[in-house]
Amino acid sequence: MADATIAEKNLPPKVSGAKPDMGHMEEFSENFARFLMRANAECGELAEFNMAGQETVLMSGAEAQEAFLKTLDKKLSRAAAYQATVPVFGKGVIFDAPPDRMKTQLKIQVDALRYQKMKNYTTIINKEVQDWIADWGDEGELDFLDEFLQLTLHTATHCLLGPDFRYKLTEEFKQLYHALEAGLQAIAFVDPYMQQPVFEARDKALVRLQELISEIIAERRKNSDKEYGDALETFMAGTYADGSLLSDTEITGLVIATMFAGHHTSSGTATWILAELARQPGYSDEILAELQEIFKDDAEITLESLREIPKLEAFIEEVLRLHPPLVLLMRRVIEDIDYKGTLIESGKTVAISTYGSHRNPDYFPDPETFDPTRGKPDNLYAYIPFGGGPHKCAGNAFALMQLKAIIAALLPLYSFELVDPADSYQDDLSAMVLKPTGPCRLRYKKRQ
Amino acid sequence: MKIKVDIDLCQGHSVCLGEAPEVFDVVDVDDGYPRVKVLQANPPEELRAKVERAAKYCPNSVITILED
Repeated sequence: MADATIAEKNLPPKVSGAKPDMGHMEEFSENFARFLMRANAECGELAEFNMAGQETVLMSGAEAQEAFLKTLDKKLSRAAAYQATVPVFGKGVIFDAPPDRMKTQLKIQVDALRYQKMKNYTTIINKEVQDWIADWGDEGELDFLDEFLQLTLHTATHCLLGPDFRYKLTEEFKQLYHALEAGLQAIAFVDPYMQQPVFEARDKALVRLQELISEIIAERRKNSDKEYGDALETFMAGTYADGSLLSDTEITGLVIATMFAGHHTSSGTATWILAELARQPGYSDEILAELQEIFKDDAEITLESLREIPKLEAFIEEVLRLHPPLVLLMRRVIEDIDYKGTLIESGKTVAISTYGSHRNPDYFPDPETFDPTRGKPDNLYAYIPFGGGPHKCAGNAFALMQLKAIIAALLPLYSFELVDPADSYQDDLSAMVLKPTGPCRLRYKKRQ
Repeated sequence: MKIKVDIDLCQGHSVCLGEAPEVFDVVDVDDGYPRVKVLQANPPEELRAKVERAAKYCPNSVITILED
């Protein structure tokens, strides 16, 4: 036959159970971590599934994950995969900007996370934690899922926009931010411009937030010699290659993008750390002893004093292994990819699952067991709570600093106990950012 | 000792510059994130502790120390 001369192309194997039209959407939405683990178990390194018409290839294992994470934007595009963020961050911001402007914006975002700024953020976070616990009294019970959402909203606005904004405008900001968040639900990844009340509310909130931040920018430009030490200061000073400043809309977009990258991820992880400390009193006591040694003689919580806390760090790493805040990372294929002889065609989406990777027994024996002594695997692409490669989460140092600052302040003052049965504290796998199923109730008691 | 950096992983966090300014600088590049610049590829032994801290606390695991 004539066709026999054309070499047969290997395509990724398909996951069973696709329904007409919607494909695997329903099973995926119900518990996507479990679905992705099934896909990997059934098909191996590459597993193709269907998300309401979008063919998506899950790449599993350290080798495939390395290929995914190291491939640059022009072949595997983040922008094309994350278009739902455009009406949330604003026109011309990050995934809506031309590639060179996007790079500059991301660079300016990282400038706000550099060493000198981080020192200031550590002081801010410690102050917010002290204010938070000021009225706790000797003992009590709280839903820490909710508490940490509040705390990290306060730390984020304070570090990003400074104390004036934090203390005067947090309430209005909270409403606007929630409206923007609601605009980034699953349906937005199908079409973010549909006629829907949530999307109308999202658009209104963005306009109002742009107004608010423009006012602050105008005010600050009048007093240009004042130093603020927050991220807004860095965003306002950043320039493109031609020397021009970012517009107010772009600056607002960077503020929103930074909130989205850092807020839920940090609050969910902080909640899980405290819940696991309450569930593992043995490790909690060891970390307490370590903190008491490091912070003896009333040493202050600073970027330097937080730098090396090995037992706490290992504990946080294990929390991030079992409960990685972003379960799924995605890219859109722009140029056909040949992965070890298999063709992944342009137009498809590729994805990797941190949740599945962190439960691979080749790298993590007895993976469901919480064991902070197991250590990180040598392979950088097997343990990927912050992704990896050139697009690794740029906020990873900030995130770890904040988590350590919170625990270093809390644990020496209070002990924590579970309120509900230990096995009722589980991952909520229905949302895009992982957190424990709420409420996450813990009892605290002041130490003697 | 000899210093090796995986430049593609660098995002310019500047932790190395804070820990060992004798050995590392962070410089702007035309394209993308600022990048580490190694000032001394074979630093003297008395800087070992600083260099080890720079490698250990680099958020992106960019720096490796090789023995001669």
